[in-house]
Amino acid sequence: MSENIYLPRMATIKSMRPETIDVTTFQIALNGTNGESRFDYESGQFAEVSVLGVGEAPISITSSPTPPETLEFSIRRVGQLTNALHELNVGDKIGIRGPFGNSFPLKELEGQNMLIIGGGIGLAPMRSVILNLFDNRKKYGKIDIIYGARSPQDLVFKSEYEEWQNVENTGLYLTVDRGDEEWKGNVGLVPNFLKEINPSPENTTGITCGPPIMIKFVVQALAELGFTSEHVITTMERKMKCGVGKCGRCNIGGKYVCLDGPVFTLKQLEEMPSD
Amino acid sequence: MVTKVKSKIIKKNRLTELLDKLAKEYDLIGPVQDNVISFKQVKSGSEITLDFVNSVLSPKNAFFPQTETLFRFSGDGEGFKAEPEPETDKERVIFGIRACDARSLHLMDMVFGGQLEDSYYMRKRAKTILIGLACFNPAETCFCPTFGIDPTSPEGVDIVFTDVDDRYWVQALTEKGASLLDQLAEFFDEPLGDEAKLKDAKAAGLTKMKKLDVAGLPDKMEPLYNDAYWESIGMKCLGCGICTYLCPTCHCFDLVDEGRDEGGERFRSWDSCMFPDFTLMASGENPRPDQKARVQQRFFHKLKYFPDRYGEVACTGCGRCLKYCPVNINITKIIGDVMSGKTKNE
Repeated sequence: MSENIYLPRMATIKSMRPETIDVTTFQIALNGTNGESRFDYESGQFAEVSVLGVGEAPISITSSPTPPETLEFSIRRVGQLTNALHELNVGDKIGIRGPFGNSFPLKELEGQNMLIIGGGIGLAPMRSVILNLFDNRKKYGKIDIIYGARSPQDLVFKSEYEEWQNVENTGLYLTVDRGDEEWKGNVGLVPNFLKEINPSPENTTGITCGPPIMIKFVVQALAELGFTSEHVITTMERKMKCGVGKCGRCNIGGKYVCLDGPVFTLKQLEEMPSD
Repeated sequence: MVTKVKSKIIKKNRLTELLDKLAKEYDLIGPVQDNVISFKQVKSGSEITLDFVNSVLSPKNAFFPQTETLFRFSGDGEGFKAEPEPETDKERVIFGIRACDARSLHLMDMVFGGQLEDSYYMRKRAKTILIGLACFNPAETCFCPTFGIDPTSPEGVDIVFTDVDDRYWVQALTEKGASLLDQLAEFFDEPLGDEAKLKDAKAAGLTKMKKLDVAGLPDKMEPLYNDAYWESIGMKCLGCGICTYLCPTCHCFDLVDEGRDEGGERFRSWDSCMFPDFTLMASGENPRPDQKARVQQRFFHKLKYFPDRYGEVACTGCGRCLKYCPVNINITKIIGDVMSGKTKNE
């Protein structure tokens, strides 16, 4: 009989890095029977994270698969499971199942310019892509990262921005919905900021993740800028339980987000019913 | 499949004795009259009733229980052991399954089997011998011939029992079935030769059974996405979930933890696409925010998404959902409307 698809593997929290008042990056190590500290994964995949006794939730992987040992999840405190996760401490045990789902087609995109557009905690799966691109820097053209949050305090991965900006041929554009006295950067919504920056669609693929309302307007803005729907990629969020296409709730039309997604091109989404 | 069907008969007055023997050597599950007729494990043959059109609850529960512990965990973190519930390895026999419900197991096999196999379901399937019971007295709500099902000849079972005259005609359809018949040889006699004729005579009356046209149904569903048609059905629907509860092909479930510091368990339980929180996310987003969206999901899943993914419509024509829906939402009417294009008049 095959392995039990519902049984989580145990993992230890190695570090907890606060990003904002309600977002923490958890670094995890599997307590692998063969000494492995993580599973193999690709940028864009997710895992089911458990706090035993509380439950399980699908969380996108924040780290890049390029360093051999790292497995990180940046998690916003928003529901029962994520609240329980935030109450844990370094050294505590959690359960992990995964990785699940498809991934961003980074191999196919080699040679292209990359436009990364994130909003809020939506930068979490984007960070896996960003760090992955940086570790394969020579294979891609220009990398532009446009990221926005509600306020300067809500921007995640702040400690990494300087490093990102120093990567060759890379631009980082930040915006917030509401600034404060110290904020010197742009104030305004991500889709508008995107239009101001006016990136060329030529040989460029846009990858976006954020709140649904942001994605909707980012996609419109990209179309206005001349991006075709094959060259816009996003990752979808749905309520999930099993992660493996059995429990029946995460479908968009006939596609299970857990199996057929979470990564879809805009072209694929246009061919799917809009629920 | 056995090349030659092993064919026997058993006198009706020996059936209880046979079932007693099965109950002794196997975990025997059969139709039992409680408040309603449903499939339950029995200790003796006399608990089983054969006086029913179809059970209110299908035997789905025997493979995909309404609640099922997936594993237990201990509370100290260190000593965490995710231990699946031990299952008895005793072989099971389900006696009296109808052709429609046998088909539903075939449909659920496609969900729970495959590459990412659900070992809980598949293990129960592997250790169960299915004995089908030919149906000659369908209800008005039945429409299984729509899906190519012959109620008098259940498929996907190991043995078929057919009530003919003073005896049951007993046919083994699989090796597993044939070897069970060998094992119980003392109860069986050779057929008298008129069984097929007697069966055909009984089946002749069934030609009047409802058989809907479903040719190209999934393609006809496609343009109806977000159609106002679902609005009118959604308005009627109470969201009670009885259709999904009784449906032999509905397989959606929830995963829930119970207990924490003192240790506990993760179990799964049936869930329903009719319920608002089925798709409600912690962020407050709900991709199916109203009953229209949920009703549409149910019928699209049965009639479009499932056939697109697995090649077959996820309905067996058992008629339970239309019989028990408190507001008479009727899948046969919906299929008829879709096929005839009448959805525009709603």
